[in-house]
Amino acid sequence: MQELDTVIELSRTQFAATALYHYLFVPLTLGLSVLLATMETIYVITGRDIYRQMTHFWSKLFAINFALGVATGLTMEFEFGTNWSTYSHFVGDIFGAPLAIEGLMAFFLESTFVGLMLFGWGKLSRGKHLLVTYMVALGSNLSALWILVANGYMQNPVGSVFNPDTMRMELTSLPDLIFSPEAQAKFVHTSIAGYVTAAIFVVGISAFYLLRRRHIELAKRSFRVAALFGVFATVGVISLGDALGFINGSAQPTKLAAMEGLWETAEAPAGFNLIAWPNQEEKRNDFELQVPYLLTPLVTHTFDESIPGVSDLEVDAEAKIRDGIPALTALKALRENPDDAEARATFDAHQDNLGYALLVQRYVEDVSQATDAQIAKAAADTIPPVAPVFWSFRVMVVAAFLMMAFLILAVIYSLRGTLHRHNGFLRLAPWMIPVPFIANEAGWIVAELGRQPWTVYGQLPTWLSASTHSVGYMIFSLVGFVLLYTLFIVIEMFLMVKFIRLGPSEDRRESPVEPTQRHSSQWSEA
Amino acid sequence: MKHVLIFLFWLLVAVVAIALTIVLGERGAWYFAWVLGTVMIVLIAAAGTAIIDARYDEHQDDQY
Repeated sequence: MQELDTVIELSRTQFAATALYHYLFVPLTLGLSVLLATMETIYVITGRDIYRQMTHFWSKLFAINFALGVATGLTMEFEFGTNWSTYSHFVGDIFGAPLAIEGLMAFFLESTFVGLMLFGWGKLSRGKHLLVTYMVALGSNLSALWILVANGYMQNPVGSVFNPDTMRMELTSLPDLIFSPEAQAKFVHTSIAGYVTAAIFVVGISAFYLLRRRHIELAKRSFRVAALFGVFATVGVISLGDALGFINGSAQPTKLAAMEGLWETAEAPAGFNLIAWPNQEEKRNDFELQVPYLLTPLVTHTFDESIPGVSDLEVDAEAKIRDGIPALTALKALRENPDDAEARATFDAHQDNLGYALLVQRYVEDVSQATDAQIAKAAADTIPPVAPVFWSFRVMVVAAFLMMAFLILAVIYSLRGTLHRHNGFLRLAPWMIPVPFIANEAGWIVAELGRQPWTVYGQLPTWLSASTHSVGYMIFSLVGFVLLYTLFIVIEMFLMVKFIRLGPSEDRRESPVEPTQRHSSQWSEA
Repeated sequence: MKHVLIFLFWLLVAVVAIALTIVLGERGAWYFAWVLGTVMIVLIAAAGTAIIDARYDEHQDDQY
């Protein structure tokens, strides 16, 4: 059992590491693709070459980021099969569908048009090139949509049913899966977080140029478009963050309790823990600084609803485990004799809590013999690690409000034409570039660590999901991935810094083919 | 001081916008909102940037 635990922890660490690396590239791709489309829209409407140069320059940085994002993302899809084979078997029918659509529809769309966008300058007309750039933006975001539909299912499994004969979850409703509140809010929150990331990135680099009085015409326009783009996006990302928190409140109350550091059920009107030191062992906060009355309206959108704390959630989980044990026992009987009518009736009556019974199987093979202590231990497992979830959530929220304030100032200075008088602000801007990346990573930790101990919430525990590799294999592949991905980060940083230092190319040889040019070439060919 | 007040005003506007969204949309049609919101963000950012050219055509200064 100890080796199995080590393998599971190593599998989790490996997936977390690869996902966190990958997620450094994704948001910038999502946002920068739309920002490029915005810049090119201005070019097509105004016809001014400076906007073509802008689009061309920022698309170089986009290409670097896109390539490394793809390289780090590809391995993750294989990881489901290699390291999480039980999980893949259990939910493959559901999880596989959005992932396949992502690959066949969104990623192919995005990849095909990326080539045309980067190499189509001078070969496509303005309108066609603009359409291509919009296709890249659409493809990038559709790609995220399908991934997040799959992830939304892991957070809140809807539109499916467990089949005891195949031992798999089976899809019952594709619309329920795609339009689940979790998937919708998660996609929009993530996509717009990408917009903010791109905005801060472009503002930061533009400020760097303005401060050094290089490429001023390009930098002041890039600064303006990114600041306006970002300021609306930050309002959106904070609003959707609240919607996601609200949805989590009912779908994953354990995650909400961890995010808020709530050990006891909070009666209305509850205070919001601004700062706290959660102590999971003693199930209390060693220190807390509260804003009175804030939590209830923030989380429930009412003034009179209570919010369940860890203690009550554990009691609830204990009841679910006890209810699920007959389902698991019946499932074993059904595997031996699928025609056992009594076992099937028992299974049908208790199958809603089958996943909770699987939690206790970690401590006892025959769950019908589980002791009260083992059930209590399994119930305690349903609470995710509170301190990292609590603090990651606060890092994300503080970063979001910081970026909002920063972008409001950026818009004010840019619209008033007073940026040149605020060197301090221009100096600060490049230092803001890491902030959205930190917020994105923190958000990912809240979402995924907060879902523990489940891979599919309430259905499949993490401890049952992993493959049965050896510890040596897991350590070898983990070290390999960390070294390889660190190399990718170094390459990305090197290329980004190199192209930022070089700055935009001023040549006009690559401007898209104008209608008149095409006419003349057609005439000459004729 | 004037700048601080302008900043605080727009910060307040942003907070009110967030509060309104929270009140109006708990389980909203977020996919639709994303499409609409993205189009709006693109158009406003594009229009707000294109204004630079009109402004600099008039003044021809080196301010930004």
